[in-house]
Amino acid sequence: MIVGQHTVIRTAERDDARFLRAAYLGSALRASLLDVRKEPVQPTREELEELLGSKETARGLFYAVEDLEGRVCGFCGLRGVNQESLFAEVFFLFLSPEMEAGAGGEEAVQFVLGQAFNRLHLAKVTILVLDGETGLGALLARAGFACEGAQRQAVHARGVWHDVQTWTCFREAAEAPDNHTGGCHALQD
Amino acid sequence: MPFKTDAVIRRAERDDLDTVVGWMSEPDFQYFLYGDPAQSPRQIRERIVSMLGRAPGQTMPGGVQLMIDSPSLGPVGLVALQNISWRNRSCSLDIYIGRTHLRNRMVTAVAVLRALEYAFDELNLHRVGAFIYAFNTASWRIFEMSGAKRELVLRRQVLRDGVLHDVYGYGVLREEFDEARRVRSRLVESASLEEMVKSLPADDEEPKA
Repeated sequence: MIVGQHTVIRTAERDDARFLRAAYLGSALRASLLDVRKEPVQPTREELEELLGSKETARGLFYAVEDLEGRVCGFCGLRGVNQESLFAEVFFLFLSPEMEAGAGGEEAVQFVLGQAFNRLHLAKVTILVLDGETGLGALLARAGFACEGAQRQAVHARGVWHDVQTWTCFREAAEAPDNHTGGCHALQD
Repeated sequence: MPFKTDAVIRRAERDDLDTVVGWMSEPDFQYFLYGDPAQSPRQIRERIVSMLGRAPGQTMPGGVQLMIDSPSLGPVGLVALQNISWRNRSCSLDIYIGRTHLRNRMVTAVAVLRALEYAFDELNLHRVGAFIYAFNTASWRIFEMSGAKRELVLRRQVLRDGVLHDVYGYGVLREEFDEARRVRSRLVESASLEEMVKSLPADDEEPKA
């Protein structure tokens, strides 16, 4: 358990399934909740309990973020660690926009970057972000992530096409927080 | 044959197993696409069997494996439409030309063209994506000729020969493919993989000047 100034971050447990389920049922469309085909899914609570209750090797590096009062306010972690090319995909799932805008979100991002670069000794991490997730994009930019482009019209939801951005943070960018440029640029008109 | 135009692209079958396993064992396949050199032929075979497995009737498959075939030369290459999302009407595309002497731009270009026609005209997809290594210049140029846009540059993403290379993410939307097809309509109408295959030198012949 990591006790920070604004959050407590710990390994996610079976009992966190109801909070995760709430995120899946929420109205906000989030890239972190899409499946491998970038389709929204609605796992049952039992399925999520099974996921979170599995052994650590199967579960990966899946963490719950609590506020200082012990309320679960988000999830974060790493998945798909590629040891050969030294990168992994990370994810952040905050249950309120305030977390993305505030110091709590920044603390969670720094925790995951620390896991990636200092514990697993990776060279970079990537994350998928939907075009509507502007709060998350701003948070990532503050942490040293840069947008490497967007897969156009890759997700269709509620009658609208959405672009899926890929953001990347290299170890050197994370270690130089004053040098963050961030921002998402379109590679093609 | 489920799909046939001037360029013959048909669904891969169990009879293609040995051919595909042979291609997937080649260093070139693992260099330009994916795979683990340490994988045993048996593991590769099991993977291919699962890929070629027929979905039950009326089931919308998550992937379609197609063979580029020539009556005179036999199987030429493999086209894989993977991660098909029927909700998003999208898929990813991998193409491998197994016959090394046929790896010229036209054969590959027509294979890409026919695969995209199949994806858009037959499967009614909206978007086809592909991840192509930056050093595989011929492949991403061909994809660009088909109307695809470079959407992503994933820096230092894939390790080959001890060096981390960039990977490009490409995407082509239906209207972009239609426009590219309109612009290149003469090529599309006249292109025939069979004719091109016949005109190419055989394995034991010197290339024509």
